[in-house]
Amino acid sequence: MELLSNLALGFSVALTPWNMLFAFIGAMVGTLIGVLPGIGPIATIAMLLPLTFHLEPTAGLIMLAGIFYGAQYGGSTSAILINLPGETSSVVTTIDGHQMALQGRAGAALAAAALASFFAGCVSTALIATFAPPLARLGQSFGSPEYFSLMVLGLIAAVVLAHGSVIKAVAMIVLGLLLGLVGTDGNTGGQRFTFGLNDLADGLDVATLAIGLFGISEIMANLAQRESSRDVVAKKITRLWPTADDFRRGWPAVLRGTGLGAVLGVLPGGGATLSSFAAYALEKRVSNRPEMFGRGAIEGVAAPEAANNAGAQSSFIPMLTLGIPGNPVMALMIGALMIHGIQPGPQIMTERPQMFWGMVASMWVGNLMLVIINLPLIGFWVQLLKVPYRFLYLAILLFCGIGVYTVSNSPAAVVIAAVFGLLGFVFQRLNCEPAPLILGFVLGPLMEENLRRALRVSGGDPMIFLNRPISLGLLITAAILLLIVALPAIRSTREQAFQE
Amino acid sequence: MTEDSGFALSRPWRRILLHRDVLAGLLFIAVAGLGLWLSRDYPVGTALRMGTGYMPRLLCWILLALGALISARGFRDPGGSTGESPIGREALWPVLLVFVALVVFGLALERLGLVVAVLLLVAIGALAGRTLRLAETVLAAAFLVTLAWAVFIAGLGLTIPVWPEW
Repeated sequence: MELLSNLALGFSVALTPWNMLFAFIGAMVGTLIGVLPGIGPIATIAMLLPLTFHLEPTAGLIMLAGIFYGAQYGGSTSAILINLPGETSSVVTTIDGHQMALQGRAGAALAAAALASFFAGCVSTALIATFAPPLARLGQSFGSPEYFSLMVLGLIAAVVLAHGSVIKAVAMIVLGLLLGLVGTDGNTGGQRFTFGLNDLADGLDVATLAIGLFGISEIMANLAQRESSRDVVAKKITRLWPTADDFRRGWPAVLRGTGLGAVLGVLPGGGATLSSFAAYALEKRVSNRPEMFGRGAIEGVAAPEAANNAGAQSSFIPMLTLGIPGNPVMALMIGALMIHGIQPGPQIMTERPQMFWGMVASMWVGNLMLVIINLPLIGFWVQLLKVPYRFLYLAILLFCGIGVYTVSNSPAAVVIAAVFGLLGFVFQRLNCEPAPLILGFVLGPLMEENLRRALRVSGGDPMIFLNRPISLGLLITAAILLLIVALPAIRSTREQAFQE
Repeated sequence: MTEDSGFALSRPWRRILLHRDVLAGLLFIAVAGLGLWLSRDYPVGTALRMGTGYMPRLLCWILLALGALISARGFRDPGGSTGESPIGREALWPVLLVFVALVVFGLALERLGLVVAVLLLVAIGALAGRTLRLAETVLAAAFLVTLAWAVFIAGLGLTIPVWPEW
């Protein structure tokens, strides 16, 4: 059993005290930022990215991964207790979760969310362990034409699955590609868009960009609104355990949510947020009591919370096996790998089995820790929610500032992040999603590299992308996806799906 | 995009110009135009032997076209705009202050040291909040200076000067 020996190797790495400590730190930080509205996993991971430079790569990745799925747990706490999603992936949890809290069933809702997340986490860890090796083997047979076509497909899928206007998402990707060009051209040595500044000669940093677009612009957006009062449902949470009826109704919802989330997470542009919305819509449709949705249906909490955790974890699959990021968090994980000089791609699993399997096993360890962090310690997180935003944003702003500075030890990076914060705020007001921009930014240089290499192999003949069967298949899939979005009939159902 | 919403434009024009899609399209066009202007002297080369300017200029033209398309769709969509500016004037102040706080922090960090930089960030940042309370802010500043020192200097050993270097 190859799988078992792989997992044994993984647990031998994940269960060392050092790595367990970092899984715990990641889970704690993830829960913290998950509970707190106003800061998300993307900005946090970007801030902590430079710090992992001082760590061994496995420990660093374990911690960053813990932050991402930990945030999925914590996000539900504030969604249920104060009707304010801690993360975008918990937005739908507010609908029924807060209703349950108002009916005095906050404990049951919190337990349902945590247990659903734990179940989904276990299942998707098993899925990664099962499906990653064959996918990586497939990836190893890829040449540069296949990689180029795969990235085209990834970007197009990200557009199709993005919220809102497709054409704006395309424009954001192009803008991201352009920003990826800033710096010295690797092939000709010429400078692009550097304004003659030394600080830009090496290009923009993905962490700087992410902190600006996701961290700082979020502070700006929050301050631009009136501060909403937060009514923590502070009645003592007495009964943590769901009733037998809750279990009966919740179980199938958790199973469906896990399955849906695991599938959607693998898709580029997917991940936690899309999964939770889709799971809620699905539950409402299959339920025999749809009128209860919005009035405290436990399925409306269990399914999206299972789905967002499953989606968060299964989005690691394409990143770890093919080196292709499906969402901004994975783009940052690739940045973390590169900091340590590890080339992302299918060879990671064969060249660094300890790191790969250690990280997979740590996800299970981390999920177990998260149940403990979230359920018995719920009182602590409730206290934390009472800290007013006027203190929080100062701390977040400070950590953003120092985080950006440590990316490259340059004051210029802080100014650049501030500029992108401003830009991100404007984009937000104009309904332009920043996620496709980050994907374009990370994939741009990789695509250019593979495009040039493929054309060099073929002697400049672009038909190389159509002559090779895998590449052709990927491009056809991309074309079909584009066509689907372009067709008005399907577009309206897609809009309906996002409306729900 | 921070244009004054008090502009003396006639009603229909305001509605169109303040449409989110129109503004977004114009923003993309502006960025693409800037990119084209900056890359005007980059050698372009051919598709086979791409020069420094090939990809940047290609992408700028694509962005320009997309921007035009987005704003054109905004023009034709009369219902999407409420006539209200997507970025209200009252929102400008906190947004700009957050921006300034971060820039000042970045510029001060190496020259004036961590303590002064954090104090500046908190002072300017606190002005951005709507409910400024002096005593609370002083307390928060003291707490954040200690926290930043403990985490970044004592804990992680970053080589940032703590005090101003004269």
